[in-house]
Amino acid sequence: MSGGPKKYDAIVVGAGPAGLSAAAELGRAGARTLVLDRDTRPGGQLVKQTHKFFGSEKQRAGTRGVEIARLLREEVAALPAVEMWLNSTVLGFYSDRVITVERVKDAPGEERREWLEKVTAPVFVLATGAAERFLPFPNNDLPGIYGAGAAQTLMNVHGVRPGRRVVMVGAGNIGLIVSYQLLQAGVEVAAIVEAAPVIGGYLVHAAKVRRAGVPILTSHTVKEAHGREALEGVTVWRLDEKWQPVPGTEKYIAADVLCLATGLSPLAELLFQAGCQMAYVPELGGHVPVHGEDLETSVPGVFVAGDVSGVEEASAAMVEGHLAGLGAAARLGLVRDLAAVAAGWRAELASLRAGPSGEKIRRGLAKLAGQTAGMAASSPAGSPVSPASAPAASAPAAPPPATSAPKPGKPGRTLSPQLTSTGEPAASELESSLPPADRRRQGPYAVIECFQEIPCDPCHKACRTGAIGPFPDINLTPAYEAAHCNGCALCVAQCPGLACFVVDENYSPSEALLKLPYEFLPLPAAGHTVDLLDRTGALVGSGRVVRVVRSRSKLATPVVWVTVPSEKVGTVRNIRVPATKGGAAE
Amino acid sequence: MKTTADAVIIGGGITGCATAFELARNGMKNVVLLEKEYLASGATGRCGAGVRQQFGTRINCLMSKASVELFENLNDYLGFDGDIEFNQGGYLLLAHSEATMAQFAKNVALENSLGIPARLCTPEEAKEIVPHLNTEGLVGASFCAEDGHLNPFKVTQAYAEAAQRLGVEVRKFTEATGLIMEGGRVAGVRTAAGDLATPLVLNATGSHAPLIAKTAGVDLPIIGERHQILVTEPVAPLQKPMVISFQYGVYCQQTPHGSFIMGVGDPHEPKGFDQGHSWDFLHRVAEKIAWLLPPLAGIRIVRQWSGIYDLTEDNQPVLDEAPAGCGHFIAAGFSGHGFMLGPTVGRIMAAKMLGQTPPIDVSALNLGRFARRELVLEPSVV
Ligand SMILES: Cc1cc2nc3c(=O)[nH]c(=O)nc-3n(C[C@H](O)[C@H](O)[C@H](O)COP(=O)(O)OP(=O)(O)OC[C@H]3O[C@@H](n4cnc5c(N)ncnc54)[C@H](O)[C@@H]3O)c2cc1C
Ligand SMILES: Cc1cc2nc3c(=O)[nH]c(=O)nc-3n(C[C@H](O)[C@H](O)[C@H](O)COP(=O)(O)OP(=O)(O)OC[C@H]3O[C@@H](n4cnc5c(N)ncnc54)[C@H](O)[C@@H]3O)c2cc1C
Ligand code: SF4
Ligand code: SF4
Repeated sequence: MSGGPKKYDAIVVGAGPAGLSAAAELGRAGARTLVLDRDTRPGGQLVKQTHKFFGSEKQRAGTRGVEIARLLREEVAALPAVEMWLNSTVLGFYSDRVITVERVKDAPGEERREWLEKVTAPVFVLATGAAERFLPFPNNDLPGIYGAGAAQTLMNVHGVRPGRRVVMVGAGNIGLIVSYQLLQAGVEVAAIVEAAPVIGGYLVHAAKVRRAGVPILTSHTVKEAHGREALEGVTVWRLDEKWQPVPGTEKYIAADVLCLATGLSPLAELLFQAGCQMAYVPELGGHVPVHGEDLETSVPGVFVAGDVSGVEEASAAMVEGHLAGLGAAARLGLVRDLAAVAAGWRAELASLRAGPSGEKIRRGLAKLAGQTAGMAASSPAGSPVSPASAPAASAPAAPPPATSAPKPGKPGRTLSPQLTSTGEPAASELESSLPPADRRRQGPYAVIECFQEIPCDPCHKACRTGAIGPFPDINLTPAYEAAHCNGCALCVAQCPGLACFVVDENYSPSEALLKLPYEFLPLPAAGHTVDLLDRTGALVGSGRVVRVVRSRSKLATPVVWVTVPSEKVGTVRNIRVPATKGGAAE
Repeated sequence: MKTTADAVIIGGGITGCATAFELARNGMKNVVLLEKEYLASGATGRCGAGVRQQFGTRINCLMSKASVELFENLNDYLGFDGDIEFNQGGYLLLAHSEATMAQFAKNVALENSLGIPARLCTPEEAKEIVPHLNTEGLVGASFCAEDGHLNPFKVTQAYAEAAQRLGVEVRKFTEATGLIMEGGRVAGVRTAAGDLATPLVLNATGSHAPLIAKTAGVDLPIIGERHQILVTEPVAPLQKPMVISFQYGVYCQQTPHGSFIMGVGDPHEPKGFDQGHSWDFLHRVAEKIAWLLPPLAGIRIVRQWSGIYDLTEDNQPVLDEAPAGCGHFIAAGFSGHGFMLGPTVGRIMAAKMLGQTPPIDVSALNLGRFARRELVLEPSVV
């Protein structure tokens, strides 16, 4: 009944960004490669990510996750050496390096079939990603309590709204992004609850949900959930400086959905089974395999890539996938000068991790490097793992020319407590984003409300006039020089953080024109009257839509031109299309 | 931390924990138990946890009968605030050959003479007891309704907690690296965390027992052999008894929460301390169980793992002091059925260590029997 295992040159487990990138390298090198994924479509987490990605152009910044998944899929599909089995869950990694796979055929109209398959190869890339963490609190098993990623899958993959009113736990990027997508799906988000005193995710994401009216309660956590058959409400309470709950601060919030975005843990079971040396590194999400820069684990021929090697980002996952794929191909003798081929990717990875938002990862990798003593030489513990080629965050920019070229943002800038704890920029920060008064009167100018150092640069790529200068380090904040700006709003349409706006104070004697990004349906049409909202989502007036610009590129964000009473042009940052009006034009 | 003890127990499985408790219950004040990992991390926490009184040797019948009596009241006996989950659904031993059936007939006669209510069954009667049993090729069976299975973690925990309440110190993650011998007598135990002076040691380290014995100059003929086992998803109650076939080497029980636990023996399993697992085990066990108990074919497997049998030549343990009078006591070599004997072995070894007469005469299970070729062969084991 049981035949022997099928043999390949290489096996990749997981068809997320990491696994697909690894498969692409292996396939290009000519290795007969099998890619396995338990899902029915390849792409991993990307298939549900309808938002635009950060990072640089190399990792397809400004592209939506789903689109990246499609591009990766096509790249791999074009390689004849690569075979992909979907609906195929890897169950075990055995000591003879055979892995068992549960395969399912579930075609409509056919009888469902399940069977066990065994495969083996001299090299493996394990890219199984990570799983969502759960929180302990009373009644956490009520229906209606989801991982944020699960809610995202329901909405964006299956087209099902998880409920009507959501409380989100966790103000990291996942909590913020999923909250925003829930709003886009027409679900009310009652609050985002975050135990830390500061918002962990990118502040541009926080600002986005904040101006849609969602309060972000930092230093708060869930006390308990309520409901009989299903969730009806949540009690939250405040935490003091020592993270202890403060009795008497309980707030009841009615909700039928509670989403937990409290972190991810690497899906490391197969690594344990393979006998890889593991280390517990909280900064990387938990138990991770000890590995060097070549992404090979302590078990020769077993490589890792992506979140399973340390929870990070899709951008890093792709680069790691390339490195692991190249390393595995080199092991097979299919890549000659690995060091030379890998150098570019290594530099890429180091630059992604160079800024302040990569600080945690660097710390985690340094800890891990401390464990690799005896394995391949790596950076000594305590120092960042970036090779010398990485642009250091503090590298001085080229000296500014005498003319008014945009000055790059200063690294290491401190953010106001108001911004980091609520997502609303402080007055001083807003002040700093405005051109001088005389320039403001001269015509339209951009306002870039991007104060935090994050690895992102599409605004520069979008700007044709040079008003937004190049980023000497992708982690710096944008350098904007109003003198060159013509108010074209291309940056507004391209910024994945929706942090760019264009203001024309001279539109009419009493009105200014605001060009803002708008990602909700229905889109308003010219002539419609819309509500004007401030940075907290509060109603501050009404305005008239002058134009809606939709670029031919699917990737661009629609830009709405709306009139705003002159005195409110510094306050208004969002619009709401009233239920009865607008939208008809769609 | 203590540096002296009246007795040191090495090994935190059922044998060590039960003996530690019985020593303390009998008044020994200063007992330390050393476990190199966590309690029940050895064979105890990896076993099928079946308890039967149907054996081919008088000594096993007596020990297991005494254990069943203890298991029946163990929650109270140990003051355990949990439940050891003793499920007395019976044990159905299958005979797929005339020879096995003839052995069962002998066993049942012996068992009945000792007050064990086992009986022989025709294939039809066996099917009444386990309606989903495939009786093709079945010659007959032996059944005892008092047998059953329990939760090995809870049993170990119950013993360890009761022992600690009586003053036993349990040191987890503390490995004994050897015995300190002085003038042919035990003087202490070496551990990674320092020496512990003691005149009395119980070597209850299962398959590791020869390693400790060696440091006392004793050659203990026990070899480790890997045995694999698996658990399925929980399903509605279907099967009350443990079903076991010596011919096919398989056993299968359903736990109270609905999961099936099953295993299959294989003489080709690696010897030593390998606790890995193989994919062909899945095929072997699935093939046999799906044939023997057809409805189980549709149930999903959740996990497989393995443990190590501490095998002796006659499939019987060594319950002895060796060299005689030196203070090094051995309770190991259980050959795959030591969990069910645990409560009784605890009493026997405590009595021996205290210089008292054990409740059951186990002198035949001495170490010298192998050299003298006086084996106590147990025919009825997987
Ligand atoms: C809401 C959200 C927003 C995000 N936003 C961004 C962003 O803006 N920019 C960015 O760079 N990153 C972002 N990320 C992070 C990014 O999605 C992940 O870091 C990335 O997907 C990790 O890639 P991966 O290939 O390692 O794992 P995954 O994408 O998780 O893929 C792993 C794959 O392995 C499969 N698998 C797992 N176990 C098995 C098994 N036993 N057998 C078979 N298959 C298996 C899974 O089905 C899955 O397809 C976001 C993540 C989330 C959840
Ligand atoms: C797959 C399988 C199925 C089984 N099914 C059954 C069944 O259905 N019924 C039944 O009765 N029996 C069964 N058995 C047998 C049963 O599990 C054992 O006989 C019994 O658990 C032995 O218990 P023990 O305490 O003597 O040994 P163990 O449970 O092995 O305990 C020995 C302990 O000593 C520790 N140790 C070892 N060396 C040292 C050291 N140097 N220092 C400190 N600590 C040390 C180990 O970590 C271990 O925890 C099965 C066994 C296996 C493997
Ligand atoms: S509005 Fe146009 S010119 Fe001005 S910064 Fe943006 S893209 Fe550049
Ligand atoms: S302003 Fe530039 S750097 Fe900031 S989020 Fe937008 S595109 Fe990225």
